[in-house]
Amino acid sequence: MTTAPRPSLNPGIPPAKNMQDSPTPLSVLGPQADAQRQRIRQQFEAGTSARETLRAQCELADSNVQQIFGEVLRVHNREPQGLCLLALGGYGRRMLFPYSDLDILFLLGNEKVEQESRPLISEFSRTLWDIGFRVSSAGRTLEECRRIEEDNAEFHLALLDRRFLAGDAALFEKLDTKVLPASEKQARPFLLAQIHRLTRERLTRYGNTIFHLEPNVKESPGGLRDYQATIWLREIVEEKKGIRNITAAEEELSAAAVDFLSAIRCFLHYSNGRNDNTLTYELQAAAAARALGVGDGVTRTPAEWMRQYFRHARTLNRQLLRHLEQKSPVSLTLRQRLFNAARAAKFEPGNDRFFMVRDGMLEVVDQPVLSDRAVTYSLFAEAARTGTPLSREAERCIGYILTHPELPPKNTEISWAMLREILGSDYPGVALRSMQRLGLLVEILPEFGMIDSLVVRDFYHRYTVDEHSLRTIEHLQELAEPPDERGAHFAPLWKTAERRDLLILSLLLHDVGKGMAVENHVTGSLAALDSAAQRLKISPEEKEEVRFLIEHHLDMSATVQRRDIFDPATVSAFAQSVTTLEKLQRLCLLTYADIHSVNPEALTPWKAEMLWQLFVATSNHFSRTVDRDRLHAHDEVSLLGRVKALAGEASTEAIERFLEGFPRRYLAVHSAAEIAAHFALYRKLGTDPVQTELLATRHGFSLTLLTADRPALFATISGVLAGWGMNINKADAFANAAGVVLDTFHFADLHRTLELNPSEAERFRKSLADVVNGKAPLEPLLKSRESASRGRTPKVTVETRINFDDASSAHSTLLEIVTQDHPGLLYDIGSALARLACNIEVALIDTEGHKAIDVFYLTAQGKKLTTQKQELLREVLQGTLV
Amino acid sequence: MKIEAIIQPSRFESVKDALREIGIEGMTVTEARGHGRQKGHTEVYRGREYTVDLLPKIKLEMVLPDALVNRAVDTIMKTAKTGKIGDGKIFLSRVEEAIRIRNEERGENAL
Repeated sequence: MTTAPRPSLNPGIPPAKNMQDSPTPLSVLGPQADAQRQRIRQQFEAGTSARETLRAQCELADSNVQQIFGEVLRVHNREPQGLCLLALGGYGRRMLFPYSDLDILFLLGNEKVEQESRPLISEFSRTLWDIGFRVSSAGRTLEECRRIEEDNAEFHLALLDRRFLAGDAALFEKLDTKVLPASEKQARPFLLAQIHRLTRERLTRYGNTIFHLEPNVKESPGGLRDYQATIWLREIVEEKKGIRNITAAEEELSAAAVDFLSAIRCFLHYSNGRNDNTLTYELQAAAAARALGVGDGVTRTPAEWMRQYFRHARTLNRQLLRHLEQKSPVSLTLRQRLFNAARAAKFEPGNDRFFMVRDGMLEVVDQPVLSDRAVTYSLFAEAARTGTPLSREAERCIGYILTHPELPPKNTEISWAMLREILGSDYPGVALRSMQRLGLLVEILPEFGMIDSLVVRDFYHRYTVDEHSLRTIEHLQELAEPPDERGAHFAPLWKTAERRDLLILSLLLHDVGKGMAVENHVTGSLAALDSAAQRLKISPEEKEEVRFLIEHHLDMSATVQRRDIFDPATVSAFAQSVTTLEKLQRLCLLTYADIHSVNPEALTPWKAEMLWQLFVATSNHFSRTVDRDRLHAHDEVSLLGRVKALAGEASTEAIERFLEGFPRRYLAVHSAAEIAAHFALYRKLGTDPVQTELLATRHGFSLTLLTADRPALFATISGVLAGWGMNINKADAFANAAGVVLDTFHFADLHRTLELNPSEAERFRKSLADVVNGKAPLEPLLKSRESASRGRTPKVTVETRINFDDASSAHSTLLEIVTQDHPGLLYDIGSALARLACNIEVALIDTEGHKAIDVFYLTAQGKKLTTQKQELLREVLQGTLV
Repeated sequence: MKIEAIIQPSRFESVKDALREIGIEGMTVTEARGHGRQKGHTEVYRGREYTVDLLPKIKLEMVLPDALVNRAVDTIMKTAKTGKIGDGKIFLSRVEEAIRIRNEERGENAL
C-alpha cells in the first residue's frame, strides 16, 4: 500500500518520556520478538503450513502492537478514547509474511486528538521498528477516512481489509459500520475503476503473462496480488450467487493456489532475509529439493516443481481475468461498439449458431453443442479469423464440457484442414492462446506438452518455452498493424506470406526439443514434427516446408550476427541454403518473431534493421540470379528417380529432355509430384500443342500452361486472363533448353465466373488454347472487359518505377517494374515487350496490395538488350503504364 | 586505460572469444551505427529505396590495467581485421579513477 505523508509523525521530537520507563522495556521486548520469529521460522522449515505460519506471524505482530500501544498510552498518561489502531492490507487480512511491512492506520476521532497524539504515535512507531517490525503507518481522522482521495486509491483499497487492533473500539465500530460502508458504496465505481487500472498496469508491467522464468510471486500475473485483486472485485460488487459466481471446485483450487504461493513467499522471505519475492533459479532449485508447498516430501527437479507453480499461478490469474472481464467499469465507446457490431455482422447466422459477440468477445450461447469438438474448433477458427478472443466465461463453458464425462465428446480428432484454417488465419494467436489455457492445444498437438510451463535457464529468455512460442505467433499477428517501427518493414511480409499455416506450425514446434533429452533441441523438434505430421496427416511437401523452417530457425539470426551481411558472398551462400524467395519470406518472419519473443528488449531497432537488410539483399539476389543456375537434368539423379516413380512408364531420358535447361528455381518452387504432373502435360504436347491445368486454390485459381515458345506468348496468355476478368497476383514463366515454355499463373476470379459456373472452366481453357494457337482472336475478349473496368479509380496510388539491370545476369537484361496493379496490366506490359521484339526468358510476377512487382529477364535476338533498346522500352512502358 | 573499439558485428563473437582467452572477460558492448570511410549503400526492394548510410557496428568498451592494454589491442586488431574498409577503429584514453560500487574498491583492484 502507498501511505500518505505522515505530517503528524515527527521523529525529530523527543518524547517527554520513553519506553525505557515502562514495565516491559525494549531490552526484553526485542529479544522476545526475535525468539518468537525464530521459532515460527523453525516450525515453517519443519513443515508447518504457510497458512499456520502467517497466522503465527500475525499473532506475534498483534500481541506486540497491542502491548506497545498500551505501554505508550500508559507512559503518556493517555486514555484510548478517540484513538485506535487498525491493521490494513495484508496485515489486515492476516496474511503477514515474515518480512512484510505492518500496514497500520491510526484512526483519530478528530483533529484535536491528532494534535495531542503526535508524540505518542511517533514513539509507538519507533518502538516497533526498534524491536524488528517494519511499520508503514498513516494517520487519518474519521472525517478524512470518509473522503475519497482520488490520487491515493491504494489507501482506500487497503482500507477494505481493515481490522481492529487496539484502542477505542467504539471509534472503530463507527468507522466500520457507519462511515466506510456509506462512502465505499458511493465510491464503488471509483474503486472498481482503480482496481482495474492498477491491475492492468501491473499485469502490463509483467508482460501480461504468468510464464516468467523467474517470477515475482507477489506481483507477477498469477501471483498473490492477483488473488487479492479478485477478492476486492468480488467484495466491491457484492457478488451474487449464479452461473458467473465462483464454484466450490474453483474455490478449492484457488485456496490450494494461495497456500502454495504463500509457502513460496514465506520461503523467499526467509531465504533472502528481506521482503524480496523473486523466485530466482537458485531458489527454485532449493524449493524443488524440499518439495515446497507440495507436502509429499518427494524431491522434484526444478522444472517439474515450477510446473506446479505455473499451474497454481494460472488458477489465480484466470480467476482474476474472468472477474476483470465481468466487472468492466468502463462502458464501451461508440467506436468500440460499432467495431464489435461489424465483427458480429460477419457471422453467418444459421440454425446452429451457438455463439455471439459481446463487448468484443466471443460468448457461448449454446453450451451443450460444445460436446461436439468440431463445433468447439469452429469457434476457435472464428476467433482466429476475426481476432475476437473468447471471453473467460466462454472458456469456462468449454472447460466445463471438457472435464465432465457425462457429456461424451464427439469428433475429438481435429482434421489438418481445420487446424490449417486456425493456423493460417490472420489472428492464429488469439485462438491458440485460449486453446492452450484450456489444454486443447496439448490435446491436438501433444508434442507441445513437452514444453508446457518449461523453465529453461537462460540469461536472455524471460519466459517459459511454451510462452515464448506463443508469443512468437502473437508478434506476427500484431504485424497486421505494427505497434512500433521495428515491425514496419516486416508487416508487408506477414500480409503477403503464403502458407502461413505452415509458418505457425513451425513456430509451435520450433523449440519443442527443449523439452526432450537431446543434445540439440532442433533434433528433438524435428522428431516432434515427424510424429505430429503422421498424426495430422500432413502431406510430405507441407512437412518438408515445416522441417526446413524448424531446421533453419536459427540460421538467419546467426547470419545477421556472425556474418558480414553486406558481403555478396554471404548473401549468396545464405540464399543457397534458403533456396526460394517464399522460404526466405517465412524464415524471415519466423526469425523476427523468435528474436522478438526472447524478452521485450531483445529485438532492438538495430537487430531489426540488420535482419531486414539481409532479407532485402537475399530477396534481390533471388530475383536477379534466376537464370544464372540452370538445370542439367542428367546430374539430378535423385530428382529423376522421384519424378520417374510418379510418372508411370516414362523413360529417364524423356524426363531429362523435359527438365534440361529450366532455371533451378523451377525445382525449388515445385514438388516432385508437381513436376511429374507437368511432365505428363509435356508428353501430351504432341497431340495438343497447348496443354493447360486449372486448379482451384485457397485464394483463387492456378493455371499451368505448357506450349512451345512463340512470339508474344506471355502477352497473349495474360490477355486471355484479363479478358476473362481474372486478376493475376503471381506468375512464373520458365523455358527449358528445347524451347518449351512452362508458365504458372495464380489469379483471382474477380467476377466469380469460374466459382459460380463450374462448367465455364472448360470453356475458359478452350478459349485460352484457341487464342494461343491462333484459332481465335484476343481483341473481342479484351474489348468486352474494357467497358466493365472503365472509370474505376484506384484507392491507392503507386508510383511507376522502371529499372534495367545488365549486371546481375550473364545472358539477359533484367527489367524490374513496380507499378499500380490493374486488371490487364501484364497484358499491357507483355504486349509492349512483344512489340519491341523482346523475348521473355524468365518472368517473376508478384503483387502486394495495389502494387505490382514484376521482374523480366529479357533478350533480343539471343543477347542482352542494348542501351538504346532499353531506353525505347522505358519510353514505351512509361506511356503504357501511366 | 580505456579501450573503445568499433568493430564489424560479424567479428564480435571472435573478438570476444579471443579476449576471453587472454583473460579479459569484462566489457561493455553496444549496438552502434556509423561510418567512416566505408560509406553506406542503397538497396532497392519492391520499388522502394532503402538507404543504409549509417552502417551497423559493435562498440566494445573496457578499462584495463596498463599491463594488459597492448595485448588487448593486438588481440582486437588481429581478430577484427578482415582487410576491408569498415573493419573499424580502436581508441585509447586514460582513465583517472575506477571504483567498484559494491565495495568501493578503487584503482586497479576495481577493474
